[in-house]
Amino acid sequence: MTDYISRHTASGNLFIPRLFQGFPEIKEALISNTMQAGFMVAPMAMALWSQGVPIKIVYLGHRYGSAFVVRKNGPIKTFPDLRGRVVAIPTRFSDERLIVFRALKKYGMTAKDIRMVEMPPPDVAGALAAGAIDAFSMGEPYPSQAEMGGYGRILFKARDLWPDYMSCVLVVRQDMIDKRPEAVQALVDGIARSGLWLEKGRPYREDAADFVGRFYYHQDPRLLRWALTNPLDRVMYTPLTPFKPDFELVRDLMLETGTLDHSIEFNDYVDIKFAEGAKSKTAWAYEPGGLEAR
Amino acid sequence: MNDSRKVILGLALWVCGVSALHLRLNFDWSVYLNDRLPESERKLNVAYIPVT
Repeated sequence: MTDYISRHTASGNLFIPRLFQGFPEIKEALISNTMQAGFMVAPMAMALWSQGVPIKIVYLGHRYGSAFVVRKNGPIKTFPDLRGRVVAIPTRFSDERLIVFRALKKYGMTAKDIRMVEMPPPDVAGALAAGAIDAFSMGEPYPSQAEMGGYGRILFKARDLWPDYMSCVLVVRQDMIDKRPEAVQALVDGIARSGLWLEKGRPYREDAADFVGRFYYHQDPRLLRWALTNPLDRVMYTPLTPFKPDFELVRDLMLETGTLDHSIEFNDYVDIKFAEGAKSKTAWAYEPGGLEAR
Repeated sequence: MNDSRKVILGLALWVCGVSALHLRLNFDWSVYLNDRLPESERKLNVAYIPVT
């Protein structure tokens, strides 16, 4: 979205967006310096940093926007009905997996009671429809896809069990932070301005669904419109500043569930200065369908 | 023009046409040109997946 609007400004696009189909591929591209920045799930970013990959978390991509979905009219009516069933998650290093652990704990169950499988996000809705899985825990627009298709039902949203839930974060290679902080700040500023623009109301979200669906996600814009407006707070784009308590919760859950082998400190893997620098930014001056942005 | 020349010319035109269309429709010129800029002027390559 930031790319699309910034292309309508006098200075042009701020960065080169590159579409991937899974988080592990983004991880490899960051390690090889093919990508200098990327969006990935917070636990993966933290695990990579703890393994010595030279990246830092600088901003969030959004808040909320993940849900646990089961088959509509299927045998799963409540979470405990999932005993012995197959649940898809994007990767073991994801908040979507941690939310499953939170649900297991709430209902007095353990990871042994279900079978978790990793699946690329674009595949989960089809797998649910085909009966290959019994449920999935995933970010939007895949819960919306299952709902719109008439074969999926949201059992619970991530925010129901995790009030300040966050998922995707923006990570940047450390060499870029050191050598080109102004380019990183421009990127973070642009994302902050996009978030504020989206929160201006329904027409802005509908316009974003249209151009992001057609030009970036290559998905039906109606699907993104559903995800962004049904209801309007289904996915939130403010505040995107990384908060220490949110990350400490993720870290503790990772330690508890075996995806982190030692404790790590917020100030070491998060570089907060870019988020601080973006705090005074205002929404893009861009009207839906317009030709100019400032 | 004999038949074999016509075939060769047609084939050459077809190859050129398909190549031009490929470079117009499938090739990402922004990535190609950005990668050739000096490092200090290069825009960041930012990876994303189609999920919110």
